[in-house]
Amino acid sequence: MLKIKVKKGHNINIAGVASSEILAPQKNTTVSLSPENFRYIKPKLLVKEGDSVKLGDPIFFDKLNPEIKWPAIASGKISKIIYGERRAIKEIIFNIDSDIENDSPNIDEKKLSNKEDVVNYLLEKNMWPFVTQRPFNKVANPSDNPKSIIVSLANTAPLSVDYNFTLASNKDSIVSALINLKKLTEGKLFVAVRPGEFKYLSDLDFIDMVEVEGPHPAGNVGVIINHISPITSKDTVWTVQGHHLPILGKLFSDGIFDPTMIINLSGPVVNNPSYFKSRIGASLESHCKGNLSVDKARVISGDVLTGKESMMNGYLGFYHSSISVIEESFDRSFIGWLHPGGASKYSVFNAYLGGNKSPYSFTTLQNGSHRAFVPIEAWEKVFPMDIYINALARSIEANDFEEMEQLGIYECDEEDVALCSFVCPSKTDVGAIIRKGLDTVYFDK
Amino acid sequence: MNFLKKILAESGKLFQEGKPLSFAYPLWEATDTILFSTDSQNKSGPHIRDNMDIKRTMFFVVIALIPCYLFGAYNIGYLNSAAMGVSSSVMNDFIIGMTYVLPILIITFIAGAICEISFAMIRKHEINEGFLVSCALIPLTMPPDVPLWQVFMGTSFGIIIGKEIFGGVGTNVFNPALTARAFMYFAFPTKISGDKVWAVGPDGYSGATALAIPANPVEYDTASNLFAASTQFDYSLMNMFWGLIPGSIGETNKLLILLGAIFLIYCGIASWRIMVSCVLGLVFTSVLFNLLSYLTVDGILQSGGTPNAMLTITPLQHILIGSFLFGTVFMATEPVTSSHTNTGRWIYGFLIGVLTVIIRSINPAYPEGVFLAILIMNMFAPLIDYYVVQSNIKMRLSRNV
Repeated sequence: MLKIKVKKGHNINIAGVASSEILAPQKNTTVSLSPENFRYIKPKLLVKEGDSVKLGDPIFFDKLNPEIKWPAIASGKISKIIYGERRAIKEIIFNIDSDIENDSPNIDEKKLSNKEDVVNYLLEKNMWPFVTQRPFNKVANPSDNPKSIIVSLANTAPLSVDYNFTLASNKDSIVSALINLKKLTEGKLFVAVRPGEFKYLSDLDFIDMVEVEGPHPAGNVGVIINHISPITSKDTVWTVQGHHLPILGKLFSDGIFDPTMIINLSGPVVNNPSYFKSRIGASLESHCKGNLSVDKARVISGDVLTGKESMMNGYLGFYHSSISVIEESFDRSFIGWLHPGGASKYSVFNAYLGGNKSPYSFTTLQNGSHRAFVPIEAWEKVFPMDIYINALARSIEANDFEEMEQLGIYECDEEDVALCSFVCPSKTDVGAIIRKGLDTVYFDK
Repeated sequence: MNFLKKILAESGKLFQEGKPLSFAYPLWEATDTILFSTDSQNKSGPHIRDNMDIKRTMFFVVIALIPCYLFGAYNIGYLNSAAMGVSSSVMNDFIIGMTYVLPILIITFIAGAICEISFAMIRKHEINEGFLVSCALIPLTMPPDVPLWQVFMGTSFGIIIGKEIFGGVGTNVFNPALTARAFMYFAFPTKISGDKVWAVGPDGYSGATALAIPANPVEYDTASNLFAASTQFDYSLMNMFWGLIPGSIGETNKLLILLGAIFLIYCGIASWRIMVSCVLGLVFTSVLFNLLSYLTVDGILQSGGTPNAMLTITPLQHILIGSFLFGTVFMATEPVTSSHTNTGRWIYGFLIGVLTVIIRSINPAYPEGVFLAILIMNMFAPLIDYYVVQSNIKMRLSRNV
């Protein structure tokens, strides 16, 4: 078993951690699939408003890679297709017809022996988008030969779901998913866990277990890859979200697409932060309504560091498994920069007296104005990769291709540097810089 | 409070794009956010942010400097009373000192604010709180009797040439406070060269600073003996540590500087790597020079035909003499102009220590070497970073093969 001990990083002590009870959300009849959740694709619709679809039916495909299709995440009617600027498809909203959904589990078991079989099976079932790749954090290209596959079951992000809890009853489907994922690569299949969790996986000899210890972002796929098998410009590594393993498992063993999963609703302004039995693309309102303690709240699909801001009537992103809610505060304290400290201030610097002790109620406040970047060792404190992030950011701003590649742009993703933005006293958005660099090298290729 | 908030919000409308006062927007933004913490929202990137910002970062450096100001003022008064042979109360000494320190401080801030604000308006960037630190540092590097017009000139030069022409805070190459100091050193050498005593006293009152004693000895001896022979001031190690000696306003009390260092390191603002490596570099070189002078008393390293007493200064004396500690703690650690990588910070600091001793000892024309050493290393910091980053690139390339 490989062991990774990450020292640089920080576990943000944020209030509103979900209690370990699983509730049912309020009845909700719509779910949404948003092509905007997938990078670098050109979606082309296969359905139109008013069509009736069954779970798993193809909804749209990628014009750049037509074999990859996206599945219907519910059975029922397509009630609305929302377009954005220049007729970009923003959202496809399904009206769930539960009768049909329960009616026709399209069972069709298959023997899958090699990579080609598995790939074809997933493509045929329109389930390929569950497999993503590094670099670029996008849907994988089925014709690539990944150097390795990695699944992280060690969620370290603030307020993220605890897989040890949510996946406790899915042992069989997880094993089934991993058996078939292994067939996709000639390299290794890494599964990252926290010490003492998912013990049954260590009995499976085709898996290379990685034990991850340390503060966030230790459990991020990018950080783990950087520690065990760094990628270069030629490699790709595939990955699957932990909470998608049961879905893939059922698909491989029973041929059923079951879009349900356990998600959490948490954050400082949630009255009763807890877990929910929910589904892919679920409506946020059905989880939050009546459960928030303030009127002005920002509902986020995903975690507070990397999630996507959404309206109350928005939906859970395709890859997301948590809903976080924080207060939208416009509070301006008098000479705030002179504040001595106490429970109302949180900082990774020792800049306030007696802070950080009790869980802190973060708001949307930036807590300072944007300023020119001053490199006090802030980013480096929370960035556990062997990359000079400061130099990399500079090369991206200078649009210096070669240097970006040499400094390891392929190994980074926005989520790996989210903490750098969190701690930056100049309030720089490091993630946006990294994404800009990734876009630059992606479109250059 | 709400009334004030309303005034700011209403007046702010006049400073928006396209409005008559839009050119002065940076000034309004600075006033607004100094009075009330900003309500800027996290738009892209993480939805939550740390409570540390540049205002507080820079303010903390200023806090670390305040004790140096207080002691500096007291020291001026104390030396003055000593020179006149009168006994005076601590408070009285302090007030006398303040009459020298305050005007310098005020002039520095006026000059600094004029430069920073006008550049912010022309260049349309925010007023960066970093200029407060530069302006707080400059008076501490001045002799107490420096003419105020020179302070004004020096500060303007430091802020404009040291910082603004490179694009402002974050892109400057040289430490603005040290640029000001260097400008004054070379432009007005009669006031600030560092070999005559920098203390305020009666007319005709003069003497040699600790650095000048071994630099220009009447008769060759080791530095320790020369210090001991000094009758005008007590240059014992203990007294140099406690700081009741002539010198720049902020440099003399080493205890307060060390406290400032601990404070800045504890808060995570200044780099401890740079501070430690500066001291290591200084100790390494001075030990080397001690050995050299021991081996070659009548040998090669001589100035003006006599053996060089500067080579016999012990490491501890080097640390306590002059502004080495002050420069190390507050100047060398300036984040923008120092190295940006941790390996680079070790090299950068070490070389500052080495250069300080070389400039002090080998060429007695410049008794104070710290500020020159730091400026030279400011210049080389990007080069050091370049090679550190190259080694990372090489490591990555070897992985690709």
